[in-house]
Amino acid sequence: MKIAVDILQALLLIMGAPLVRGIIARLKARLQRRQGANIWRPYADLFKLFRKEDLIPPTSSVVFRIAPLLLFGSTVCVAAFVPVVHVSALLASRGDFFLLVYLLALGRFFLSLGALDGGSAFGGMGASREALVSSLSEAPFLLSLVALAILASRADIAGMVGWTLQQNVFDISAVHILAFASFAMVLLAETGRMPVDNPTTHLELTMIHEGMVLEYSGPSLALIEWASAIKLHAMLALLIALFGPWGMASGGSIWGIAVALLLFCSKIALLMVLLSVIESAVAKLRMYLVPDFLGVASAVSALAVIFTMLVKR
Amino acid sequence: MGLVGIATEKVLSSFSVFLFLTILLMAVARRISTSVLLFSLQSVVITAEVLAIAFQEKLVEAYVVGVLVFMIKVVAIPRAFFLLTKKLKTVRDVKASTTPTQSVFIVALMIYLSYAAVHSYGQAIHVPVDALAAAVSLILTGAFLMVSRKKALMQMLGLLVLENGIFVAALITTFGMPLVIEIGIFFDILIGLLLMGIFTFRISDTFDHLDVSKLRRLRG
Amino acid sequence: MCQNCAGFGAEGMLLLLPIAIPVLGACIILGLRNPRLATRAALLLGGLEIAALGVVIWQVHTHGELQAGRYLRADSLSSFFLMSIAFISGLVLVYASGYLRHTGEGRFSSPRWFYALVFLFLFTMVSVCLSANLGLLWIMMEGTTLASALLVGFYNTEGAVEAGWKYLIVCTVGIAFALFGTIVLYLAAVKAGMNPAAALDWVSLMNAGPRLGLDLSLLKLAFVFVIVGYGTKIGFVPMHSWLPDAHAEAPTPISALLSAVLLNCAMYAVMRYDAIVSHAAGPAFPHTLLLIFGVMSMVVAGLLILVQRNLKRLMAYSSVEHMGIIAIGLGLGGPLGLFGALLHTFNHSVAKSLLFFSAGNIRHNLGTLRIDEINSMSRTMPQTSAALLVGSVAIVGLPPFALFVSEFAILSEAFTQARYLVAALFLIVLSIVFGGFAYHLFRMLCGEPGQHPENPKLIPSEYMTMGIAGLCLLFFGARIPNLFSVLLREAMAVLR
Repeated sequence: MKIAVDILQALLLIMGAPLVRGIIARLKARLQRRQGANIWRPYADLFKLFRKEDLIPPTSSVVFRIAPLLLFGSTVCVAAFVPVVHVSALLASRGDFFLLVYLLALGRFFLSLGALDGGSAFGGMGASREALVSSLSEAPFLLSLVALAILASRADIAGMVGWTLQQNVFDISAVHILAFASFAMVLLAETGRMPVDNPTTHLELTMIHEGMVLEYSGPSLALIEWASAIKLHAMLALLIALFGPWGMASGGSIWGIAVALLLFCSKIALLMVLLSVIESAVAKLRMYLVPDFLGVASAVSALAVIFTMLVKR
Repeated sequence: MGLVGIATEKVLSSFSVFLFLTILLMAVARRISTSVLLFSLQSVVITAEVLAIAFQEKLVEAYVVGVLVFMIKVVAIPRAFFLLTKKLKTVRDVKASTTPTQSVFIVALMIYLSYAAVHSYGQAIHVPVDALAAAVSLILTGAFLMVSRKKALMQMLGLLVLENGIFVAALITTFGMPLVIEIGIFFDILIGLLLMGIFTFRISDTFDHLDVSKLRRLRG
Repeated sequence: MCQNCAGFGAEGMLLLLPIAIPVLGACIILGLRNPRLATRAALLLGGLEIAALGVVIWQVHTHGELQAGRYLRADSLSSFFLMSIAFISGLVLVYASGYLRHTGEGRFSSPRWFYALVFLFLFTMVSVCLSANLGLLWIMMEGTTLASALLVGFYNTEGAVEAGWKYLIVCTVGIAFALFGTIVLYLAAVKAGMNPAAALDWVSLMNAGPRLGLDLSLLKLAFVFVIVGYGTKIGFVPMHSWLPDAHAEAPTPISALLSAVLLNCAMYAVMRYDAIVSHAAGPAFPHTLLLIFGVMSMVVAGLLILVQRNLKRLMAYSSVEHMGIIAIGLGLGGPLGLFGALLHTFNHSVAKSLLFFSAGNIRHNLGTLRIDEINSMSRTMPQTSAALLVGSVAIVGLPPFALFVSEFAILSEAFTQARYLVAALFLIVLSIVFGGFAYHLFRMLCGEPGQHPENPKLIPSEYMTMGIAGLCLLFFGARIPNLFSVLLREAMAVLR
């Protein structure tokens, strides 16, 4: 029974990812007073891309071809780590938060390699920018998770979520507020959202993520797009699970799981609205200001870790 | 205990977290208006704290002080700042001498230092260590803002944050001083700000800018 | 001593006079648009104020301390400082009446604004000396900063605005630290079991002495913050950065008021706190701090005097040095040390006023205060140079002038207590300052005549005030009048 729910969670994160992307795009359009595309449009895009032909640059090697597969694979593994409706996940007992962070890093690493391998100038530029952003965001990502892990005395994600569930929702914890702020900034950087990267840009000189996928087409492109959608969905679900998990089912009853699912949908809807508002409200940071942005995240997460020392006497 | 009672308890136990947040955000703020907004948020938190203590200790004087804090620091002073920025037509930028990253690290370091400093005193006086550390970090951050921000208006704001810190320290250790003294202190702060406002006008008139780091004629 | 029963007796009402007269005077003067009328009114009200202060001093001397309500009290220490305030402000008002004929018009720059602000400034300083409550003391000290800020920036030139801004910011920050110190002292008092309503009352704190001393760390913390905070207003190094700018850029009468009166008031505040802490926990800690700050101020100011290029800045650094001397006297303690310190507050005020008055005259006649641009004054402006010479000889501490007496007292106390390092530094700095003043004065008084002053003779207001100051210095150097000596000893008794 537990396994079935875990598989369902992972499937929800994987299959629901394009929907999340579609809803965010629609909300942004509405905020900008446009009509916006249908929220199911990303599914249609994926379907279309899977039926198309894969065009491979003649100068590329095998790395170009396996990069999308590795990216997709690692992101799916990450999705299997995150508890959504109950305090466990498919791979929860197999690894701790380090594994989660570095699975994401693995996917990103191979995507950069693939972009470099594609041989285009924009691929190289996107890859170098991505390297900067990811190397700077790794520290706050890890530190905020470390702060939470110290408080919970557990290193696996499900354990941390379980600990948070047992706390009183009204006891505001300084560590959690700081870790939340830092994690939110890292989320924006990792998933390539404003103000770090503009996902809807068509100007190559402003691209980070989009620049890396310029050379891909057909099923490879579909896998990459899907992987980035899964990454966004998984990180949003991780944010909810780590900082606001109350409502998750504790037993195995269908009723509890249904309620948990409903609560999850409403929480993620709230986050999607917030994300759309933030993306529409701020301008994209110039590249030399991104280290500042991530530096602030690092300082805040470092402070969160220091605070755990003061809270846990 | 009632809803008000619970709210009071929660305010008293967690207000220091919000004070830390406001000073961290002030460290990275890049516009004067943002900093002033953060200052008024800080004063709202302090007002809530004053009213919570008034409710818990049943002190009538504290209610008066709370209302005063609200009217002066949340309403009057930010409005005066916005008026000043509009009239002076100054550039909105804060002109910090440290990058946002450095500022946040420095403020984080100061928060840690204030915890270290109040550790021994907190035990002796039986006040929550968090609140005392929040007061000391407000004082240190106010001093830092005064030193690192080169606009005259930001120096005034740094001074106000410093006074906020001293006020919070007084509040949690002694539950407020005699009312007459508190009123006198507020009066002094107001007149001080008025004079500083007059001087910023004069600086702007005489020097055509508000960059106090360029006021270095008198040396030696 | 009894806060509840003192109330507003007939004698208590007397204390309200020196406070009310300046405030009302400021309002009256603001309403008089005619400058000559404003000046006359200012002189009249100044005379009234001095008379009121004189009555209070006499009353305290004959009947003991006066109390009005819970917040105002005059004991012998306050009356000693009030005497100093009265004398100097009288001189300054008379001098200013002649000096202001040279200033221009502008917003906040007319004589009526000048006198109104001066009276507000006087109000705050008199209130500092008459405060019984440490909280009120703080409020009025902050008030002195606020009242004098516009006076420092009076001329509205670039230098004046910069000096005024720096003064306002640095002193407000300093006073904020003093507020923190006051709060910590209040906390210590309440913790020691005192009634919160009386926990800021100076006499109650003195009486609670040993009880307070049980919580040593809080008392020490309070005193550190208070000495740093009020020390900013006194001009202790390293918090002195505002002092040279403010004293140099302000109009001359205001420079005299700042140097001669304001610094003394701040020192008065520190004396009160020192008395509380010494009474409660023994004099070792506060006196050590006072000695450290005093020696630092003396040494740094003395060295900086050598490299000054502006006459008024030179005098400002000299003020810092003398405040250091007073702090050393206080820090040494003992009968001679305290006597020397208190006497020095008065002597320094008179000598500094004389110096600033002559500087004002130089500025009007030669248009500049830069030392290298002034020369051969002894030939072109004989009267002013005589005043400058007398003032400089006095301020350096040479006999037969009064400062020699007070500095000698402090020095003997240092030798009596076998503090040879302090005494050695004292003598070395005094010699350096003597050399510095001699050098600068030589350059100014002798040499080739380069400028022609427009009006080398002194007008009555100027030579009257300068003459009175000079004679006072000479007289006190020979022999301290009995009445003064008695008042001084009563003031010392308060601090024991």
